[in-house]
Amino acid sequence: MSRVLVAPPIAHGLVGRTDLPIPAWLFGWGAAVVLVVSFVALAVLWPRPRLERAPERRVLQVPAWLEVPCGVIGVALFALVVYAGLEGTQVDTANLAPTFIYVLFWVGLLPLQVLLGDVFALFNPWRAVGRAAGWVSRRMAGDGVPEPMPYPDWLGRWPAAIGILCFAWLELVSTSRSDPSTLAVLALAYAAVQLIGMSLYGVRAWERRGDAFAVYFELFARLSPLRWERGTLYVRPPLAGVTSLTPVPGTVALLCVMIGSTTFDGFSNGPVWSDIAPELASVITDLGVGQATALQIAFTIGLLAVVGAVALLYRLGAAGMRTVAPEHETGELARRFVHTLTPIALAYLVAHYFSLLAFQGQALGYLASNPLGRTLAEGDTGWLGTADWGIDYTWVGAEAIWYVQVGALVAGHVAGLVLAHDRALSVFDRAREATRSQYWMLVVMVAFTSLGLWLLSAQ
Amino acid sequence: MTALPLAHAGHWLASLLYVAPVALIVGALLWQSWRDKRRRAVEPPATPEPRPGR
Repeated sequence: MSRVLVAPPIAHGLVGRTDLPIPAWLFGWGAAVVLVVSFVALAVLWPRPRLERAPERRVLQVPAWLEVPCGVIGVALFALVVYAGLEGTQVDTANLAPTFIYVLFWVGLLPLQVLLGDVFALFNPWRAVGRAAGWVSRRMAGDGVPEPMPYPDWLGRWPAAIGILCFAWLELVSTSRSDPSTLAVLALAYAAVQLIGMSLYGVRAWERRGDAFAVYFELFARLSPLRWERGTLYVRPPLAGVTSLTPVPGTVALLCVMIGSTTFDGFSNGPVWSDIAPELASVITDLGVGQATALQIAFTIGLLAVVGAVALLYRLGAAGMRTVAPEHETGELARRFVHTLTPIALAYLVAHYFSLLAFQGQALGYLASNPLGRTLAEGDTGWLGTADWGIDYTWVGAEAIWYVQVGALVAGHVAGLVLAHDRALSVFDRAREATRSQYWMLVVMVAFTSLGLWLLSAQ
Repeated sequence: MTALPLAHAGHWLASLLYVAPVALIVGALLWQSWRDKRRRAVEPPATPEPRPGR
């Protein structure tokens, strides 16, 4: 993503990080120590499951009709982004569409989801259109509206996993990734697929399993201490919501795609991939493929290989658990512990894209006033009077960004350890057995942390 | 392709510093596992306690 809008060094905020008091690799060692200490502390101080089936408390009721204006706002924003992409300038930094999609939507919504619960569901434009269409058809046809088909069990979260993989491919591989009109057309195509899915299986079922972005945002909202359900707000312990994640088919793949695609974004900006990619592309070119296509194929191979490597690493952790409990299948353990990857996926996203949000997010100030990127007359400051705003690259320093990245990675992996320990206490009969089962998950967590820090330091 | 890893050995060697904590923990786990197996092989299987009255 960093390549889309701004130069990688600025995007990841690493300029001038040489002022760090200790070498970057030592942070990796420190993070490993924190994880090992956390693991020991959990073994000693956390003898019973606390997050599984944690109680939640109802705190607020809001009128159900509020969902309507929220949905209208979501649809209006979607229409604005598509219109800007199709009708505005094709200069990516001057058009609202790329910054809105890659910065505000993909990254900027995450803090809201984690703090306030599933806010995206309220503003989800496809859900709003689907529900409105359902309401209108019920009013017109009454009982004549056919019931949606039951959502197939085997399909699970596979549509979401494939959708996120396609988005990652667009963002990290495609040469048209920052082309506003391409993004607008793809946004319309995505909306059409969602509406078809909702008409076949019902709005609720498709939103929970098939709508890639709804599933992606809902996953992170499960980490939140707040939960919205039909206009009612509930409070629960942080992280508790993710323990109820149903491990339907495709869930492990979805989490591995989420972590793997972010990993590949970092990896593809580093020196190792810079060495490998041209060599791989030249091998493909030798087969008679054009240079640009060969590079895209090389990046596609890289993306799939990294997602596969993440899946393999997680599978090894699950297989390690079998050394304590051979009566469980590796696949079964992988599914039962898959929710532990959610805070890691979040940590990777925060670590990789915090600086993008901090800097490129400011562009929304001037893009909101001039979303089409038109040339304005002297003194004209656009719709909201902010068209002359710029980006302040000095408000947060490179060192501060590095500490946020390290902090996010460590906190995310400690949260993963907590969730894994809590689940192990439910799965295994004795606390000692549960702790022993997590030895290899500790290795996985340390490996993911070290990998994340290596990727960040290598850029 | 084959000369690539050697030509850029500096990148790979620096990266090893990040692998070290993982290697240390994996090593410790393997060593512990080997010790457990060895202990089980050396120690005779525990005989069940005789029940009272027998």
